[in-house]
Amino acid sequence: MLQHITIAEILKEEWFKKGYKPPVFEEKDDTNLDDVEAIFKDYEEHHVTEQREEQPTAMNAFELISMSKGLNLGNLFDAEEVCMDLREKQGLHLNVTANEIIHKIKEAAKPLEFDVHNKNYKMRLYNLKAERKGNLNVATEIFQVAPSLHMVEIRKAKGDTLEFNTVPHDSLITISLHFLNVSYC
Amino acid sequence: MVKELAQKSSDRLFARIPSLRILFCLVMHTLMGCFCLKKLRHKPGYEAPINLASETLFTVNEVEALYDLFKKLSSSIIDDGLIHKFTFFEMFFKQEEFQLALFKNSNKQNLFADRMFDLFDVKHNGVIEFGEFVRSLSVFHPNAPEADKIACILYDIRQTGCIEVEELKDMVMALLCENNMSLSEDVVDLIVEKTMMEADTKRDGKIDDEEWKEFVKKNPSIIKIMTLSDLMELTLAFPSFVMNSEVRDL
Repeated sequence: MLQHITIAEILKEEWFKKGYKPPVFEEKDDTNLDDVEAIFKDYEEHHVTEQREEQPTAMNAFELISMSKGLNLGNLFDAEEVCMDLREKQGLHLNVTANEIIHKIKEAAKPLEFDVHNKNYKMRLYNLKAERKGNLNVATEIFQVAPSLHMVEIRKAKGDTLEFNTVPHDSLITISLHFLNVSYC
Repeated sequence: MVKELAQKSSDRLFARIPSLRILFCLVMHTLMGCFCLKKLRHKPGYEAPINLASETLFTVNEVEALYDLFKKLSSSIIDDGLIHKFTFFEMFFKQEEFQLALFKNSNKQNLFADRMFDLFDVKHNGVIEFGEFVRSLSVFHPNAPEADKIACILYDIRQTGCIEVEELKDMVMALLCENNMSLSEDVVDLIVEKTMMEADTKRDGKIDDEEWKEFVKKNPSIIKIMTLSDLMELTLAFPSFVMNSEVRDL
């Protein structure tokens, strides 16, 4: 029976490989992951295992308020209703400790083949499946508004925005649904 | 097109008779004037893109693209060339949520959209005209000076010129309400107090302009909402302005 060839198989074909240069995808400058990068560089170089005694970065009342839908004019420019624009997403969590949130993220990431690195309350998730365009990498950080109220921020790193915004069963959206308390519209 | 034709015919026929050429041009110009009059019948509050472009960070083409957006927003219920509050609110809430908000008649849910509307409604006449729309959006442009973005109008609910503790408390409650969360008053007080400690350096229970500027310097993420990167790609988002463009940007 005839079957369609998969992209992975095409990539292995000799005739395809002739003169083929794998594309290099520019990282969009939308997200600034310098601080996260800096932390992980240190982590990898010094192999220090730190006790998570520190508190998550504090978030003040105005930063909290700025999460309001009513203050975000980005909706003006949504041609189609891209409900899950996950370039940067934030979610509030009530009555859950920061450590519990980290645990939730790790649990959600495990079955989806993400490699998780974390230091204190910043985490980096690496998608090892480089099938499509580049690696889909994600940085998350937990902020504390009050001991009982935390905010989780997800930012996208390299990868195809389209993949990022696709259908519900997409791995990243699953993770977000788990710990962002975001309802898919 | 008409201009070009006029040019060609006048060149050919009146090459040797300058005065006739002038007369011809005059006649053509008047005739064209009659055709152009149709274009000028814009809605009230309309300002020419060229004028708006010279006063804001937008190019003429971008202002034309914004006009497309404005038309879309202002004509959704009443087509009078103005954005009314309920249209503005619709932008922020999905249809269901909007209906719910109205039904609940809870001011808290619309508190922030209300403030945003006030920011745009410079004349405070309850509607947003095209000129106000463009000028206000210019402040959100990534290249707009930070000083413009730091105005604390947004958070000054009672419009007293500064942000009071009670206003901040109201806003925190409104935000929680929006997310269907509730915290005990103690916890809300804690959150607000902590922020006031940092921002209210004069310890007078309110954040004035000076204190606000200092606070924003220490916490630049607060004015993240005052920048819309989408404004850099306006002509891509609304390409139909090309049909009616008065000017071609280089």
